[in-house]
Amino acid sequence: MPRALWSGSLSFGLVNVPVLMVTAVRDLDLHFRQLHKKDGAPIEVQRWCSKEDVEVPYEEIVRAFELEDGGQVTISDEELEAIAPSRTRTIEIDQFVDVAEVDPIYFDHPYYLVPASEDDGSARAYRLLGDVMARTDRAAVGQFVMRAREYLAIVRAHGGALMLSTMLFADEVRPSKGVDAATQKSHKPSAQELKAAVAVIEELSGAWEPGEWKDRYRRRLQDVVARKRKGQTIKAPKPREPGPEAPDLMAALEQTLAEMRHGKSGKRRQKQEA
Amino acid sequence: MPRMPRSIWNGTITFGLIAVPIKVHSATEGHAIHFHQVHEEDGARIKQKRICTEEGREVPYEEVAMGYEVRGGEFVMLDKDEIDAAAGEPSRTIGLDQFVDRAEVDPVFYDRAYYLGAGKDGHDAYRLLHDALARSGRAGIGRWVFHNREYLVAVRPIDDAGVLILHTMRFADELVADDKLDIPRPSRKPSDRELEMAERLVQSLQKPFRPGAFKDTYRDRVRELIARKAKGEEIELPEIEAPEAPGDLTAALEASLAGKKPNGKR
Repeated sequence: MPRALWSGSLSFGLVNVPVLMVTAVRDLDLHFRQLHKKDGAPIEVQRWCSKEDVEVPYEEIVRAFELEDGGQVTISDEELEAIAPSRTRTIEIDQFVDVAEVDPIYFDHPYYLVPASEDDGSARAYRLLGDVMARTDRAAVGQFVMRAREYLAIVRAHGGALMLSTMLFADEVRPSKGVDAATQKSHKPSAQELKAAVAVIEELSGAWEPGEWKDRYRRRLQDVVARKRKGQTIKAPKPREPGPEAPDLMAALEQTLAEMRHGKSGKRRQKQEA
Repeated sequence: MPRMPRSIWNGTITFGLIAVPIKVHSATEGHAIHFHQVHEEDGARIKQKRICTEEGREVPYEEVAMGYEVRGGEFVMLDKDEIDAAAGEPSRTIGLDQFVDRAEVDPVFYDRAYYLGAGKDGHDAYRLLHDALARSGRAGIGRWVFHNREYLVAVRPIDDAGVLILHTMRFADELVADDKLDIPRPSRKPSDRELEMAERLVQSLQKPFRPGAFKDTYRDRVRELIARKAKGEEIELPEIEAPEAPGDLTAALEASLAGKKPNGKR
């Protein structure tokens, strides 16, 4: 099991569920280490004091905030916890919501919550909360503090586990008002165009099967490493031809539908690497 | 009208033979308070140095290459250009290869969010894609080459705003399966009565989701803490403990439904 990033209690009325928080995503990226070009030796990143010019061990490093007058104050982890003692150790459920009502833009990082102890009381309270959310199809919303930051979180049943996603606060989502979304009347499609566009979309529709979409970047990077290891030279691929120009929307829609109906574009599964 | 920060990418979305010129803008921004790392004894800033483990001296950035460890201590050395080559063909096109029912996509797959604006001469096509997605309840799935990396993306309309949004997506194999977790089984399942009480508690706390109702109050407390420390105040450090699981689950549910408040509430 991944290691715990936070521990505390999820509280639901007077029912407290002691939990550990672990990540729900695995980092599958290829990680590179910095090397010295000349001799191929690994480079170590060290922390040095800018005044004394000595390396500083981790225990001697503290957080500091710079003040407007040029001075600074140092802040310890304990002080950061002391200013919000309850939220540091408790996720108190403020309300329950229908997940479908929450725009996905607010979802940030996913984690799992697992019972913090083996005792039967924790296991039963955990199970009860998962079961009741699955049964009512509702998710819990609350706030908590982790690593010197406050998070809004949504907790829902996921298989036999509770999944917590941190969420963005409303002020972290920019207003969309300034986006040029072509909302003037003159840009409104005709009924015929809209019907044809929906027909194209329906023609290209399928079930969402996330496992079918592979990370081609990761695979290509593995391939680059393997080729380089064999001593091959790596060349950057040439830019693709510029995108299609189709100023006449109706003509493009009709041509797309005509080709689809003659089975010409039967390569719907283009997501697999050619 | 608030001005949108300038676009971070321009290109074309295609579906079938239809081309939709678009601009990409960031949709999110962080507001965390930033700290520096300093050396405790003299308060001097910490700086990072790259030290060659062979020669023991500092290495300037121009002399740094990237290494992938293929076996203990054995590295394949690559230049940044060679790593960038893995992004695939530089492309200004995002082809929507498939459309899916938006309700089928679990939000756990959505990673970063970007707003799309209409690109040059692209207003009619933008509106058409938006309205067709809104009407069909679907999202378009495609690939996007951005900053030397290829992403899986979903394009969908935002409710009521008339705006298209693009999300980079997580891959299924990046998600940890819930059967990888150690979840202790309780000696017996929650009883019908407990479930029924818990359900009433859920209902009593049910409200529509209004994102603006939740505020990051911690940020203000950190600012206040900084101000107090600047005045030389001592900060008291309380013992912080997490509340424990109830010994009697049924009694805790009954008390919650009776409107009792937990002790020591914020």
